[in-house]
Order: sequence, then C-alpha cells, then structure tokens
Amino acid sequence: MDAAVPQGAVLATAAEIRFKGRRGPVQALAPTDLALAPGSFTALIGPSGCGKSTLLNAIAGFAPLAGGRVTVDDAPVRGPSPAVGVVFQQYALFPWFTARGNVEFALKRLGLSREARRAQAEEALAEVGLAGRGDAYPGQLSGGMKQRVALARTLAARPKVLLMDEPFGALDAQTRAAMHELLLRIWSTHRTTVLFVTHDVDEALVLADRVHVMATNPGRIVETLELGDRAARAVAEVGPEYLAHRNRIMALLRHAPAGDEM
Amino acid sequence: MIRMLGRIGRVPLALAGAVLLWWGASALPGVNPIFLPSPPLVAAAFRELLADGTLLSDLRISLGRAAIGFSIGAVLGVLVGLLTARTRLVGHAVTPMLMLLRPIPAIALVPLAIVWFGIGEGSKHFVIAYTVFLAVWLGTHHGAASVAGTYIRASRSLGAGHLREFFEVVVPAAAPHIVAGLRMGAALAFLSLVAAELTGASSGIGFRIQEARQFMQTDVMFVNLILLGVLGATLDAIFVAISRRLVHWEVM
Repeated sequence: MDAAVPQGAVLATAAEIRFKGRRGPVQALAPTDLALAPGSFTALIGPSGCGKSTLLNAIAGFAPLAGGRVTVDDAPVRGPSPAVGVVFQQYALFPWFTARGNVEFALKRLGLSREARRAQAEEALAEVGLAGRGDAYPGQLSGGMKQRVALARTLAARPKVLLMDEPFGALDAQTRAAMHELLLRIWSTHRTTVLFVTHDVDEALVLADRVHVMATNPGRIVETLELGDRAARAVAEVGPEYLAHRNRIMALLRHAPAGDEM
Repeated sequence: MIRMLGRIGRVPLALAGAVLLWWGASALPGVNPIFLPSPPLVAAAFRELLADGTLLSDLRISLGRAAIGFSIGAVLGVLVGLLTARTRLVGHAVTPMLMLLRPIPAIALVPLAIVWFGIGEGSKHFVIAYTVFLAVWLGTHHGAASVAGTYIRASRSLGAGHLREFFEVVVPAAAPHIVAGLRMGAALAFLSLVAAELTGASSGIGFRIQEARQFMQTDVMFVNLILLGVLGATLDAIFVAISRRLVHWEVM
C-alpha cells in the first residue's frame, strides 16, 4: 500500500491522566510526549503501574485526558474509533458469535452485502492462519487461536493505528513466538502504525523498531531506544547490539521501583 | 453401581424408593388413610379425576393462567430491566422502588389483586405476572448492568454504533442472567399461581386442593400436589435444555 498521504500518525503532547484514588486523584501518567510515525512499530515496556496501558488507552480513546492532547492524523482523539484498532490481552472476543461472526462484527459498518462480508471475513481469518475455522466459537479455540481471531477482527475494521495491550501475555513461549512471526508478517503487508505494550524485554526487542522504557510514580517515559535497521537485526539475531539493548533496558527496569499491582 | 446406573436410571430408582417409603409409612398400624392415603388409594383417585375430566381441565386452566401471567411478566421484566440497567435516568427513578417491592410475597398481593381485578382471571394473571416480572427484571438488570467493560470498548473501537452495541453486545452479554431470571420467574409463576388459586378461584389445581380440604379428600390433595411437583420439575428441565442452546457459550 503506497498511500500518497501517509496515514496513522499518532502524536501525544503533554498527555496526562489522573484516576480517582481513595485518597484523592492519582497521577497515572505524568505529562508525556509520544510520536508514532505512520507505519512504525513502537514498543512500550515497563513494570506494572508505569502507565503503559494507560497511555495506550488514551490513544484508543478509552481514558479521558486530564491535560495535554492526543491526535491521530491531526484529529484529536475524542473517543474510540475504528481508525484506531485495539487488541486486548484478554482477547475480548464476543463468545456468542462464531470466529467469523466476530470478524463480521467489524465489517458491518462498511455496508457490504452479506456475501461480500462473509467472504472478507473468511479472507481475514485465512490471513491469520485460521482458514476453515470460521464456524468455531471462541470457547472452542485455544488462547493462541483466540488472539488470531482478535487480530483478524481488529484488522478487518481497517485501522490506521493498531494498539496492542500485552496481547500475548497469556500465551506459552512457543505460541508466542509463532504469534510474533504472524504479527510481523501482517504488519509488513498492512503497514499500520503499531504500538505494542509489553513487560517482556525480548518481545519488545524482537518486534519493535523503537522501544520506550517507562517507570512508575508517576508513570512516565524514562528512555527511548532506537533499535536500528530491521533487516540487519534479523540477520544478526541475538548479536552484541541486541544484548547491549537488552542489558540497558534490564538495568532501567531494575532501578525502577516495582509497581504495587500485578 | 450408582455410577453404572447412569443419570437416567438413578432418578426413577430414587423415586421408586420414595414411593416404597411412603407405602410403608401408610401401612403402619394406627395410620389413618384420611391423614396419609396409600399409593394405591392415590392412584385410584388419579384414575377417577382423569376419567371425569377434572384433572385435564384443571391442568389446562392452571397452565393457561401460568403461561399468560409468565408471558406478560417476562416481556415487561426484560424490557424494564434493560432500561433500568442501561439508561441512567430510568435506573435512578425506578430501581429503588422495585428493590422495595421485591421482598413482598405474592400471597400478600392476592387480596389486593382481587379488589383491583375482581375474582376472575384478571387477578390471577396480575399476581403471576407481578412475581415473574420482579424475578426477570432483577436478572436482566443485573446482567445488563454488569457487561464487561472490554466488550463495550471492543465494540466501540470496532465502529459499532449505539444500536448495534445494544443488540449485539449488551443483550447477548446479559443473556445468561436474563435466562437465569426467566428460569427463576417460571418457578415463581407456579408458586403464585397456586397462591392465587387457593383463594377466590373456582377452577385450577390450587382450587382443587382447597376444595379437597373441605371434603377431607386427602387422596385428591395428593394427586394434585404430585401433579404440581411433576409439572414444575418438567418445566424446569425443559427450561434448562432450551437455555443450554440459547446461551450455549455459558457453562451452566
């Protein structure tokens, strides 16, 4: 896709979020700047309570800002919108719909004919490796397959930005590695802007081009790492550069005071 | 051994055991058959009621009343429950009143229902509909008010409007609770049916029990009591089977 105007630019300027706590408001996210270039892959990493999900929720339009602004392609975020797709850690699939029904839910706003919608849903499921599984209900699928359906559903809505909130946190290591491969393959064809929240250092290093490390009290970004050329990294795999990045992030996470919720 | 009999075999066996105990108790010396009629006596009464048509006509009338009352109460309960759970204004205005009405037993309403709707069918339908309504309302309200936030978030970020969010997310997400409310309502419909028929009725299973008391026909009482038990248990089993299919994703 060679869109003349690159789409999916996210800009957060002094975005701040407060929650009502038992003893007055709690600053979940200190005023934070974040820029996601169209088609980029960015990871947010940090201990629990560092506000990484909060920042993601602000971009998704789920959490109102206490200050600052968040825009997607220069339009301020006022609430959830299909331009910004979200993949949740707990899948959030509708158990009363089949896998295909879940994907079709995202397609309904496009005003397609019933046949076209069904065909597109099948196509989306095939893209995530679930061809022919459209009639299965989420309850009949494994965790990895559920997250594949969720990914197909979110992409079917044709988002310009894809937000992923620890999407593979509940999966075993092997399934997780397969999902990484799938996600990168899909990202290389769709080229949506991806923001990926994780607490797994290796996951961030394998997937992203840029990693923001966050800390708690208050939630904020403390350091940004540019990981460099993706093709070279793929060849080198776990080379000296990878280890240097890994050590740096581990050091930052160690020094950060541990969050109180987990 | 118990396992080998399976689910199907266990139920008749347990019932047969209960009948044997009853038979034994009724055969004890000094037990007056007026107080505890033996199973053959009750079976004879059953055949008699069946032959003269009383039983079937009572059954038809009572089931008709229960069905009409249940339908009215269930439809209203689901509608009002969805409203009180999903619209703040209606919720704040109506919920406290319903919470206050909920503990009032159906029997206590029968005299008022007779004053309002007369001795005819209206008062029976009202009492049944009222009890069913409150049970169904509570289930629906609870279900629709506790829809998981991630479902709503997912629905909105997938571009669904308010109508689609309501019918394709809120209602199915609340469905397991709605179905539980309907099941409770069906059981309560039976309770309030008999309550309404015990006073101010001239037909129906409840009336027949009351009438049998005046003539000391305990065998007739037993026939109708067993009938109520079998009817209630059968309806509940049918209800469970239907709801298993209706909300198949929910483990019940």
